[in-house]
Amino acid sequence: MVAVSFNNVWKDYGDSVAVRDLNMNIKDGEFVSLLGPSGCGKSTSLRMLAGLEHITSGEIVFGDKVVNQLPPKDRDIAMVFENYALYPHKTIFDNIANPLKRAKISPSEITRRVNEAAKLLEIDHLLERRPQELSGGQKQRTAIGRAIVRQPQVYLFDEPIAHLDAKLRARMRSELKHMQFNLGVTTIYVTHDQLEALTMADRIAVMNDGVLQQFGTPQEIYENPVNSWVATFVGEPQMSLMEMSMTGEKGDAALDFFGNIISLDAASSSRLTKAGIADLLVGVRPDKASVSLQETPGAIKAEVYSRQLLGADVLVEVAIGKTRVRAKADTSFMGNVGEPCYLNFSSENLYYFNAEDGKVVER
Amino acid sequence: MTIGSEKNIHPALSDQDWGYATISQTPTSVNPNPKKWFYFYLAAPAIILLAAITIYPFFWLIYMSFHKVGFGAVSDVFVGLKNFSRLFSDAKFIAGWGLLLKYSAICLTIQVLVGVALAVVLNNSRYEKPLITMFLMPMMVSPVVAGLLFYYLYNGTFGWYHWIFQSLGILGETSILGNSSTALYGIILVDVWQWTPLITLITLAGLKRVPQDQLEANMVDGAGSISNFFHISLPNIYPFLLIAILLRFMDNFRFIDAILVLTGGGPGNSTRLLPVYLFDVSFQFFKLGRGAAIAISLLIVTIILGMILVRVLEDPARKSTLAGDSDS
Repeated sequence: MVAVSFNNVWKDYGDSVAVRDLNMNIKDGEFVSLLGPSGCGKSTSLRMLAGLEHITSGEIVFGDKVVNQLPPKDRDIAMVFENYALYPHKTIFDNIANPLKRAKISPSEITRRVNEAAKLLEIDHLLERRPQELSGGQKQRTAIGRAIVRQPQVYLFDEPIAHLDAKLRARMRSELKHMQFNLGVTTIYVTHDQLEALTMADRIAVMNDGVLQQFGTPQEIYENPVNSWVATFVGEPQMSLMEMSMTGEKGDAALDFFGNIISLDAASSSRLTKAGIADLLVGVRPDKASVSLQETPGAIKAEVYSRQLLGADVLVEVAIGKTRVRAKADTSFMGNVGEPCYLNFSSENLYYFNAEDGKVVER
Repeated sequence: MTIGSEKNIHPALSDQDWGYATISQTPTSVNPNPKKWFYFYLAAPAIILLAAITIYPFFWLIYMSFHKVGFGAVSDVFVGLKNFSRLFSDAKFIAGWGLLLKYSAICLTIQVLVGVALAVVLNNSRYEKPLITMFLMPMMVSPVVAGLLFYYLYNGTFGWYHWIFQSLGILGETSILGNSSTALYGIILVDVWQWTPLITLITLAGLKRVPQDQLEANMVDGAGSISNFFHISLPNIYPFLLIAILLRFMDNFRFIDAILVLTGGGPGNSTRLLPVYLFDVSFQFFKLGRGAAIAISLLIVTIILGMILVRVLEDPARKSTLAGDSDS
């Protein structure tokens, strides 16, 4: 149980930079999720924490100790790998016992602790089997058993439940979260699945292209994304972005969206006039936009592009020129592809980004 | 179309003979009868050749082992199991087995230890490719040529190895092959020189396939590189290693060329391994019946040992035993 920090950490492989100037302070006992698309440097960051990858420059600190030069065995960490990395020639018992055996703990203590971990994970009836005889979920729990059997300072998870089926994944999410809460060990969890990050993490570090984009609580990330990339990456269904420009004088400022004038509420108006940015990227989350076949005051004329049933509601994608906007509608929405429709949203629910660099417009 | 009428079940079949059409509808993996013989004719030359060079002599060998084989006008005499029973009182036969087992055991032990060590050092080294090419050269040399090469290297007057051994104080005046207590080791060295690279090569292929994530998981579990080798690499290369051992041990059991060149079985009987004795009995004394009995004893032991090795190879439970999992 220890705080973990990245201080100006860089990692490059010859010409290509995998991680660029990473700075992050993870508190003792915190559950942090590294979220990003594949190849964004999140796994590399985790492997640098584990000591499986050398860092090009900067320092990684556990507590108050710089661990740059420490081999994995001296870092007191436990890691769960994406493909579990179980030892096929060992029984499940020996797989889970491996870290204890490496630490030269007495056999009776090993038996006790392995049985305890196995019982917790409900794999105690499988201890005599070998990994190849187990299902994906059982393998995954064995891999977690190997991590929790020893009380390490830090848990590292590298997409541990990515290969499970959807139902099992949902169950493992809550079990992992529960277990981490009980053990109180600092945990760093790599995932490309934003749902995993949003549901489990105390704080999320969103990465793209080797750069840390934003580090904050799931709510902060969802409600106040720092740039348009984070805004569109987090949230399902995805946020839509629209190119708009400012019109009107101070006091009655409004947005021009391909000739449609969108009036602003007081807060947005003062925020945008203060920033004084002419070209904006305006985001709207599908559940804050509505679409109907009848014209309503202030609505934007659009055309139905596609209609997807989500179960409880319908995701409608509408086209306004070349821009597409997703909106959630009631299942009673019956617009066909190509049919005219009317898009409506309120300016309080919009996200404003600078069209030039994608950064959020300051409040 | 009436369903009951067999002829009209499928319109495509209506004007064809019912039975034949069914066959042509089945997947090609089920051989239609007319084609079966065609495949047999294709394979026949190979089968006949194989029968001529292995199966026929094999039965001839069994026939010989029950007879006192005569030459020219003298006809074969059936002697029952006498050829076999006499072997148990044959001191040279028993000594030959002892020498063969000792020779094989020492050869395999050295080859496996050195071969695996070399493979571990070579794996991912900068010089892996040029060095492995160099190591392969001994394997390409014919055993007789290897024997001749070492014959000169061991020579008591100008042999280079002889000089080295003498300088190190291992040998006295007599050459390594001239002394009945060292001759066997001289022959072992030839085999080690020639065949250790094979073990290295096979082990290296195995090491390339050790999953990186298992090595990494073990490192995170607190292991160093030595533990990584014994707990992860070795169990993973174990099947490869066993195949290498199987190949080498079967080869050792019919090893004769270099011995004939180097010592011919001497001095005394100190290098008269069973295959050499078999050669002597059959082709020096022309007792082909007894020779056949010795050959069959060799064959049976080779098959049994081979089967044991294969059994071990297939049994996953043994893998972890070898991995030294009981090290807590």
